[in-house]
Amino acid sequence: MVLAGPLGPSLAPTIRKSRTLYRWIKPVADWYADLAGYRKVGYKYDDLLLEERPDVQRALSRLTPREHYDRQYRLKRASHCSVLHDVLPKDKWTQASEDIRYLKPHVENVEKEELERRAWDNLVVSRK
Amino acid sequence: MLAARASAARRASRLARNFATVVDAAGVKVAAVDNGQPTSAVTFLVKGGSRFESKPGVAHALKGFAFKSTAKRSFLGTIREAELYGGVLSAGLTREHLALTAEFLRGDEDFFVDVLASFITSAKYTRHELDEYVAPFCAAETATAFASPATRALDLAHLLAFRTGLGVSPFTSAGTHISAEDVRAFADSVFTAGNIAVLGTGIAPDVLAKLLEKSLGAGALSTAAAPKSTPSAYFGGETRIEAHGAPETVFVGFGTSGTPTAELAVLAAHLDPTPSVKWSQGLSPVSAGIPVGTSVQTVLLPYSDAALFGLLIQGESTEGVKAAGKAVVAALKSAGELKGDELKKAVVKAKFAAASASEGRDGLLSSLGASTLLGSESSLDAKLASFDKIDASAFSKATASLLKSKPTYVTVGDVKTLPYADELGL
Repeated sequence: MVLAGPLGPSLAPTIRKSRTLYRWIKPVADWYADLAGYRKVGYKYDDLLLEERPDVQRALSRLTPREHYDRQYRLKRASHCSVLHDVLPKDKWTQASEDIRYLKPHVENVEKEELERRAWDNLVVSRK
Repeated sequence: MLAARASAARRASRLARNFATVVDAAGVKVAAVDNGQPTSAVTFLVKGGSRFESKPGVAHALKGFAFKSTAKRSFLGTIREAELYGGVLSAGLTREHLALTAEFLRGDEDFFVDVLASFITSAKYTRHELDEYVAPFCAAETATAFASPATRALDLAHLLAFRTGLGVSPFTSAGTHISAEDVRAFADSVFTAGNIAVLGTGIAPDVLAKLLEKSLGAGALSTAAAPKSTPSAYFGGETRIEAHGAPETVFVGFGTSGTPTAELAVLAAHLDPTPSVKWSQGLSPVSAGIPVGTSVQTVLLPYSDAALFGLLIQGESTEGVKAAGKAVVAALKSAGELKGDELKKAVVKAKFAAASASEGRDGLLSSLGASTLLGSESSLDAKLASFDKIDASAFSKATASLLKSKPTYVTVGDVKTLPYADELGL
């Protein structure tokens, strides 16, 4: 993961590698994700991803029509909450089990393609 | 002179001998010929044309997916690497076959055979590639093809002539919805052992077989039964399509079911108004009746179990097209009376066309691909020998039975003034 990528820097892969560290950090991470408050307005984490960049726009175009519709619905519902200065009723909060990274794989794929294109563009060919 | 002739004969016999050996390697039929060309070409010919498709447009979408990402290489990687080797990758679709071709310099066969084989065995068929590249490509290709009234007329003629099976167009019609899963399912059904022939030119058969063992070996291909198409039957009919800004087009055709015969090729050669000498009128019975600004060409489309034969008339004005159409129908009706020197002339013309078609790379593909798929031996000599058997009675019998069937009549252009079939005397 490059530092300037759309997903930002993350220590998660390193932490996930060590079982002890993972066991210690995971409850704190869960507590923090709940505390952040985005679930209370019905968002998933990937709804907060910075979308004003070409690679994320490309990733967004790869969502299925259903995923795209649901995302638009969540964005609209959350803006409405913002207007009302309120959160959703508790039964409509995003559950931790629903908070899946639906956009991340697409962003990663787009990023990988971009890196591959850069690699091919700057390739030095040595012929035998 | 004599030495040159002898070496030409030797080369011809070598060509026939090389192609006559169809070997099985890794579950596919392999035929290769090496005449010392400076470049090589390898074609994977798959029995997966539009007549076998399970859903309208899926064969065209599969063709669009050719050389997209596979388990081994990404889409971009395939293109860039092929460019570095200086090769050309292309895909073609007919009503019967899907052809994946790589042309390259001698010595690069390892890479290009692997590119073709990895598409057959491990293409990914991703949804985003379908949306971003394949679907727009198919739509553009269809629009370009149908911008030509001749292509449109022939496409409709197939539909009228054969209805299902061969009648199915190899182009996607607008508004067709194909999902990546549909394409994958179709690809899995046609990319099976026994459904693929590999044809090589400029590459030794044993080299090609060895490369295929490496890339397709060890059960990479499934042995499931390939999709079957119903045997073709000929129907015929008439249709008129409005079109503007393109030449007025009329197609007068007849079809046969069963293996295409040599008589049909002779009939096409007899009626073909293309002159053998530039700027002359040609000696075909049709030639004299063609007004200035109107063109007539014979169309003979042989398939494995049927053939569509006809004449395509195109011109600026509907009057010219009508006049040429009358001449064509008159010539068709009197074609059965051909005998003597006239018949001999048509036979040698057809023979020359068949022989010269098998010279080029594309000709070799179309003439030998189908027989290689069947695993049968097909030599040019046998094909040419069938022309020698034609005599006046056999020819007139074949022509009469062809013309007895209901004509396939298509007009594309100004439907208000273009002639109807009965106005031309059909």
